[in-house]
Amino acid sequence: MTIDATMVGRSYAAAESYQVGREKIREFAAAIGDPNPAYTGADAVAPPTFAFMLGSRALEQLLNDEELGLRLDRIVHGAQKFSYTRPIKAGDDIAATATITTVRKAGDVEVIMYETALTTVDGEPIATSTSTISHNRGES
Amino acid sequence: MIEVGTELPALTVTFRREDLVRYAGASGDFNPIHWSDRMAAALGLPGVIAHGMLTMASAVRVVTDWISDPADLLEYGVRFTKPVVVPDDDKGVNVTFSAKVDKVTDGKAEIDITAVAGEEKVLGRARAVVRVR
Repeated sequence: MTIDATMVGRSYAAAESYQVGREKIREFAAAIGDPNPAYTGADAVAPPTFAFMLGSRALEQLLNDEELGLRLDRIVHGAQKFSYTRPIKAGDDIAATATITTVRKAGDVEVIMYETALTTVDGEPIATSTSTISHNRGES
Repeated sequence: MIEVGTELPALTVTFRREDLVRYAGASGDFNPIHWSDRMAAALGLPGVIAHGMLTMASAVRVVTDWISDPADLLEYGVRFTKPVVVPDDDKGVNVTFSAKVDKVTDGKAEIDITAVAGEEKVLGRARAVVRVR
């Protein structure tokens, strides 16, 4: 029930693909308070950080790996980066796979980097998301 | 024409607790540090903090408001260096975002973004790369 460098390379694929809907894009744009017209209408694309959400189901699998023993309420997001191939749009059916790339320990805190590949279910690359999270295992 | 040193129009946004609740719902990120003072304190935080991804989403608006097509955003990354504490009142917290073109090469511009809440910079190494047409 801990995480260490031997777990680098473990991959977690989202159990189901993410079907992007126009209303979901509109809801997300409203939640970030962004009135950009590109995010509404028939040809709407999703705001750039929407990509993070698509990886969340793969992250869920990572968090459910009992050997790692991670808890969501002990995680703080440290850094985030995206590389985009094309914007996400309504109608896209997206598959996500998260792979642990680095694990570093500092006392009770574990710093974990993982990379999430987002593609359509047909294999078209959409974006790559690189996340750094800090997990505090200390009792409090 | 995009030139090194060009400053993009700044943007100030206000985050209130209700904005965090709305973002939690829309994004599916229900980490209690974004709505429970008790759980935030248990993790040693000074209070309920905004989702890093919400701050990140607001910061890139400076860039996407400036380029005409969001499809021209090629890369975007930030470090969450300081938490944005959101008080449980009607005023919330103001965060101001500004940006400057740092580099222009091979049809791409690299833009540095600054995010300030109160007197503190809350993002580090915030950078976007856009296609220059």
